[in-house]
Amino acid sequence: MADSGPTDEALLAGMAVGEQAAVVAFVRRYQRRVFGLAYSLTADPTLAEEVAQESLIRVWRHAPIFDPRRGSVASWVLTITRNLTIDALRMRRAIPTDPDDFAASALMSLGQPEDGLQRDDARDMVRSALLRLPSEQRRAVVLACAYGRTALEISEEEGIPLGTAKTRIRAGLKRLRAALEHSGELENSDER
Amino acid sequence: MSDDTICEQFADNLAELALGILTGRERAATLAHVESCGHCADELDHLSRASDAVLSMAPEVEPPLGFEVRLLSRMRNDKVGSPRHVPHRWLLACAAAVVALAAGLGIGLSTGSSPPSAKVATQAHPTSSKPVLTASLIEDGSRVGGVSLYGGSTPVLTMQLAESSVHGTVTCEIVTDNGATHKLGTFRVTSGYGAWAAPLGVSPSDVRVAQLVSPDGATIATATLA
Repeated sequence: MADSGPTDEALLAGMAVGEQAAVVAFVRRYQRRVFGLAYSLTADPTLAEEVAQESLIRVWRHAPIFDPRRGSVASWVLTITRNLTIDALRMRRAIPTDPDDFAASALMSLGQPEDGLQRDDARDMVRSALLRLPSEQRRAVVLACAYGRTALEISEEEGIPLGTAKTRIRAGLKRLRAALEHSGELENSDER
Repeated sequence: MSDDTICEQFADNLAELALGILTGRERAATLAHVESCGHCADELDHLSRASDAVLSMAPEVEPPLGFEVRLLSRMRNDKVGSPRHVPHRWLLACAAAVVALAAGLGIGLSTGSSPPSAKVATQAHPTSSKPVLTASLIEDGSRVGGVSLYGGSTPVLTMQLAESSVHGTVTCEIVTDNGATHKLGTFRVTSGYGAWAAPLGVSPSDVRVAQLVSPDGATIATATLA
């Protein structure tokens, strides 16, 4: 990622001890991504703001126990956001966006500058790989990853055998994994 | 049954585990297998990164006007929910490092630029969070960060890097008065930026040099504290 400034981990350490400058910097760095994910799943700006605020508060509260060995700060923050969005949708019995719409909105930003920063080639590689997936595999991966659907739930919703749902999930994710490997992102991330 | 056959049995589950949708006995059995199989542990790690990448592809969207103000206001008023774990002394020092780095990057507070190798000694105080020694970290003749030493019952070193040429994992070492080298630990630098803190293990007054060392043993940057 071509972001500049203190690392996410350093900002999280600052948040953990109540350093206000770190809190503000972290919120400014992540608010568009967190709100963007919640909005992509709900298409409801009011609900997305509620979820985004709760997600960032949860990150702030739990900053002292973040464990970098279990993944990056970004994946931790976005996973919290995804889980809270799924919970909020279930509690309100609200209808989530269609996974094809989620994929389409993710793919629309392919090749466009994000937040004035230098392009993130690894993310573009994965976007391209997602675009090239057979539509049924793309839908299965997005349903599982972004909407938290289990293989059984996907098989029921899509009207396909459980084994087929599992195969689509596995095949789709392996192709994305191969795209990441090709981009060199996996090698770089191994250094941490 | 060969190892490959066993691993193949867990292939579907690995993908679902990486996506966070595997539950119950299947999840427990897969985790137990991953514990004992390096190949599958690596595969799970890579699939997890692919899964993370899908979430990160959601487009960035500008939140409604006033989002940040409302959020920061909630945090200020949230006395119960504020970070509740008592921070370790090293974490406090790390936060100080973050503040120093943020200052250097114009995020806030005062700037702290010093000429290369400048040493600033301040009076030690057992309860103060101020450093007893600071020095610039020099890489190829240019200042790329700073090192601070904190006293007290658990002396701590903090190190901040900004705009260095480093990317990846580096080792922090100190050289003491008697010429001995002590490895304090490793940390990750991303595109030249990083902040880190660790217990010093010796008195700050015994430290002569703090240095960053690459994985192949080459010294990348040095801070002279005496």
